[in-house]
Amino acid sequence: MKSRLLLLPVAALVAAAPVRATVYLSIEQAQALMFPGATLTPAFITLTAEQMKAIEKDSDVNVLSPQLKVWKSSSGGWFIADQVVGKHDFIPFALALDEHGAVKDVEILEYRETYGDQVRNANWRAQFTGKTHSAPLKVGADIKNISGATLSSRHITDGVKRLLSTYALVLAQQHA
Amino acid sequence: MPSCSPNSTLERVQPLLGTFVSVRVEADDAKAGHRAIDAAFEAIARVHALMSFHAPQSDLSRIHRAPAGMRVVVEAQTAEVLRLALAFSKWSEGSFDITIAGKLVAQGLLPAPSQSRAPDTNACWRDIELDDGHGVVLHHPLWIDLGGIAKGYAVDRAVACLQTHGIRNACVNAGGDLRLLGAGPHRVVLDTGVADLAQQPVLEVDEAAVATSSSRAFAASGISPHVHGQTQACIGMQDCVSVVANLCAHADALTKIVLASREACEPLLKQLGATAYLHDAHGQWSTLGVAA
Repeated sequence: MKSRLLLLPVAALVAAAPVRATVYLSIEQAQALMFPGATLTPAFITLTAEQMKAIEKDSDVNVLSPQLKVWKSSSGGWFIADQVVGKHDFIPFALALDEHGAVKDVEILEYRETYGDQVRNANWRAQFTGKTHSAPLKVGADIKNISGATLSSRHITDGVKRLLSTYALVLAQQHA
Repeated sequence: MPSCSPNSTLERVQPLLGTFVSVRVEADDAKAGHRAIDAAFEAIARVHALMSFHAPQSDLSRIHRAPAGMRVVVEAQTAEVLRLALAFSKWSEGSFDITIAGKLVAQGLLPAPSQSRAPDTNACWRDIELDDGHGVVLHHPLWIDLGGIAKGYAVDRAVACLQTHGIRNACVNAGGDLRLLGAGPHRVVLDTGVADLAQQPVLEVDEAAVATSSSRAFAASGISPHVHGQTQACIGMQDCVSVVANLCAHADALTKIVLASREACEPLLKQLGATAYLHDAHGQWSTLGVAA
């Protein structure tokens, strides 16, 4: 197994490109993947203060917004576009529920903190925009594979828990 | 759906194995590419369901609920991971040990399994018996955590799935443990957990797996998800290691063995065709194994 370690020098601070979020799927793409061939009808809801309180009590997770972006699928089931607060930023994700309210799939739509704390460090970012002597790293092409200590997805697990409570206490009641 | 362009790159991320798992493929046809990604995520979800420490219906939870001495039949994949984990325990003379779960529960890093006897503090990997019929017998009460190897194994299963679907170029990354498919050289940026590096470490590898372990993020709290199987000491508090191997399950397990055993694991690394890049407390790099 051939491998070698390169220690790439940090280039002088040059106009550091802003950190761009990686967009994996648009809402429409996620809908087509999670409910293939189905028609999705928006059924957006604004939660009342009482509903938010009940959801928080049931799930033990804070409700950040009363707005619930939910679609009903013609094949049965629900599609919810939501977000959680990650370490630094929001993480938008999509949740697909089957007709009984059980989790079918979860897809992360967008991710902005792939490089953890490192990417917040201007010096670290700058090296990718400047030229290095022998082996320049190409933003986009070269920073796609990152190996590091495991990042927890606990925020998403909590977000899904909150939406399952929202389903049980609100969606299932309204459409019973 | 987006229109199909030749050789488009598709990447999706799902929360699995307690982390963010990304699957990236190059595919001529977007539909076929997404089908391959679906299958890869299903393979990972299957490993997650079988080997989760938390899920009450997982093979691990069934083993934990059974009284010591009772034979529990597990799925073939669980048996395969247990067999490999026990082999690593033997090769590393116990520095890699999946029975450290009791210590992780005590540190608050894992929840105590319900309906299960507290583990015998003297129990170790030698108390796990695995037979050819996928039967598991615990000779003393103990808790198993496959967190040190199952992520790597899941990545290997996902890559096998992608290959079955005709994918030739891909990357499956389970929260930092990754495997690359396709001719290299590929570049893998290493996140050592040190933010103000003067230089950025990057591995250049062929078609290979890379796994990284460190407890640096836990240094302030004094607890660690990585524990030396024999001494029960927390490891990797000051250092970080990345291992390059053919299989991600090997790379994953070897990172813990390098953190625990350092130079002593050189023969094992060579036997498995692996290389370890260790970043120590002083910011120095050393190489162990085949590329050393």
